[in-house]
Amino acid sequence: MSRRLSWGSIARIPLYLLAVTMLAPFWWMVIGAFKPVPELSRNPPGFLPADPSADNFHDPAWVAGKQIAGHVAGLLQRWPELPGGYFRFMANSLLVTTAVTIGSLLLAAMAAYALTKMEIKGRRIIFLVVLASMMVPWQVSLIPNYLIVRNLGWLDSYQGYIVPALAKAFVLFFLVQYMRSIPDELIHAGRVDGAGEFRIWWRIVLPLLRPALAAMAIFVALAEWNNFLWPLIIINDDSYANLPVALSRLSTSIAQNPQGMGVVMAASLLTSLPTVIFFFVFQKHFTKGITLSGIKG
Amino acid sequence: MSITEVRTEPRTPAVKRKRRPHLRRNLPGYLMLAPFLALFAAFLVWPLLNSLYLAFTDFNGIKPPNFVGFDNFERLWTDDARFRKALGNTSLYVVFSVGLTTLLALALALAFRTTSLRDKTMRTIFFLPSVTSSMALFLIWGWIFDIEDFGLANTVLSWFGGGSVAWLSTPELAVPILVFISVWGGAGYGMIIFVAGLNAIPEELYEQAEIDGASPWRKFWHITLPLLRPVTTYVLITSLIGAFQVFEAVYIVFRTTASNVGGVLDSALMIVPYLYDMGFGKFELGFASAIAWTLFIVIFIVSTVQLRLTRTLKDL
Repeated sequence: MSRRLSWGSIARIPLYLLAVTMLAPFWWMVIGAFKPVPELSRNPPGFLPADPSADNFHDPAWVAGKQIAGHVAGLLQRWPELPGGYFRFMANSLLVTTAVTIGSLLLAAMAAYALTKMEIKGRRIIFLVVLASMMVPWQVSLIPNYLIVRNLGWLDSYQGYIVPALAKAFVLFFLVQYMRSIPDELIHAGRVDGAGEFRIWWRIVLPLLRPALAAMAIFVALAEWNNFLWPLIIINDDSYANLPVALSRLSTSIAQNPQGMGVVMAASLLTSLPTVIFFFVFQKHFTKGITLSGIKG
Repeated sequence: MSITEVRTEPRTPAVKRKRRPHLRRNLPGYLMLAPFLALFAAFLVWPLLNSLYLAFTDFNGIKPPNFVGFDNFERLWTDDARFRKALGNTSLYVVFSVGLTTLLALALALAFRTTSLRDKTMRTIFFLPSVTSSMALFLIWGWIFDIEDFGLANTVLSWFGGGSVAWLSTPELAVPILVFISVWGGAGYGMIIFVAGLNAIPEELYEQAEIDGASPWRKFWHITLPLLRPVTTYVLITSLIGAFQVFEAVYIVFRTTASNVGGVLDSALMIVPYLYDMGFGKFELGFASAIAWTLFIVIFIVSTVQLRLTRTLKDL
């Protein structure tokens, strides 16, 4: 037993080294965000900022329209024409992510209830079409969806993000699977008591679906927070940009100039924080959600 | 519970059933289904049909589309060097990214599967990329593989006596770098699924094998691996589909090295970036739709073959 254990520990050593590799990019981002401009292009680079500063977020020495050596506009000093600056993108991302998550879950939960617990003509066909649609990569519908949104006049708008993202086949599929485990008796009891279907759905079904909804909420919210290709296509106006698009444009405008990489790292740090904090708060739900959908889905 | 069982479910008396017509009785059901179905039809089913139609036209977004038969597909499959490059790069990327991610995920799950503090910490570390903004990660990687001596990758190389490498603008390194980034970012996710799979294997099986004097290797080969097969298939299929659709990594990390999507000499060009370039850079929407359907066909064939393979392996 003890010999096997020691073999196990030896086999784990490369994985510990790998863990260091895992953390290195995060470390590089954090120190990059707090390095003053001259340190960003120092060779060899420091693994701790020699003179840590928050200039990459807000540089008091920077003046609009003036070139001062060693100073660039801090993250929060950029986009002066946008009220809120960087926080506008944060608000956009939050708004869109919340709307898509809540909306898509409610729509799918309603549809899943109707499909599994009520008499619907053609339910098999509907379910088959939904299943089949999951096999097609979403990029296939990208161009027509762009044309639809353009014709609706929804380019540069929140509804352009939200409305096309509401009907999610995999959420419906997952909720239908889960809904089948809810005993019909509970719903009958509700019907006998004279409750309407909507009331039963809201009062009885939704609470029972909570674990499945939590799992799907994490998936949908993370995907929406990271959504890039779709907003890249439909959003031109910075005031509707979400964080990924804003970050992408910020880094293009800096174009790998080491002077500005501190600002890009500061933006990356601020953009990552919400999801990482969210993860540490709801850690249990994350792993549960992944395994729930991974093994059943 | 099977579908047929659910079907007979509203057990209202037959008399009552006759008096109230089907539609009125089930109106709430249809009303609850309607919002999802309407949006599903408008933003998924219809666009899919529409894109199939566009793939056979010369649509450019402005002039009304003309039907051109199989021209787009012919051009794409027979004489498009960029597409061949994209397909080749994507295939290499998919094979290595999916293979290495799955292997590493399994190794991590085997090494860190318990609920001890050590294992939990390690799992958190490896899972961290999955909950970090992917845009932020790609920007960090772009900065790490900076061409200058002060880039992290070049600094690490210099510790081992290596000279500076122009990482992102060396064509031979483009796909390996993308594979590295994806394995780094994806192994933790697979690990979580494997851990759940491992913990679902009944402990008695191992105890039985222990009594029979089986070696750890035999236990792994004859108990763990066969029982993990459904989980492995799931991890393989999902990462396969994800890998075929890679876009952001190419677009962000390699953007600075060349004027078009795909890096120096298209060395990092993949199918979806090429679709984006043709569709939204050059506005050849008909041609880009043909690329999209080709992507579907490729994914469909590969995942079907993969499922068949797993099934055949099971019968062995």
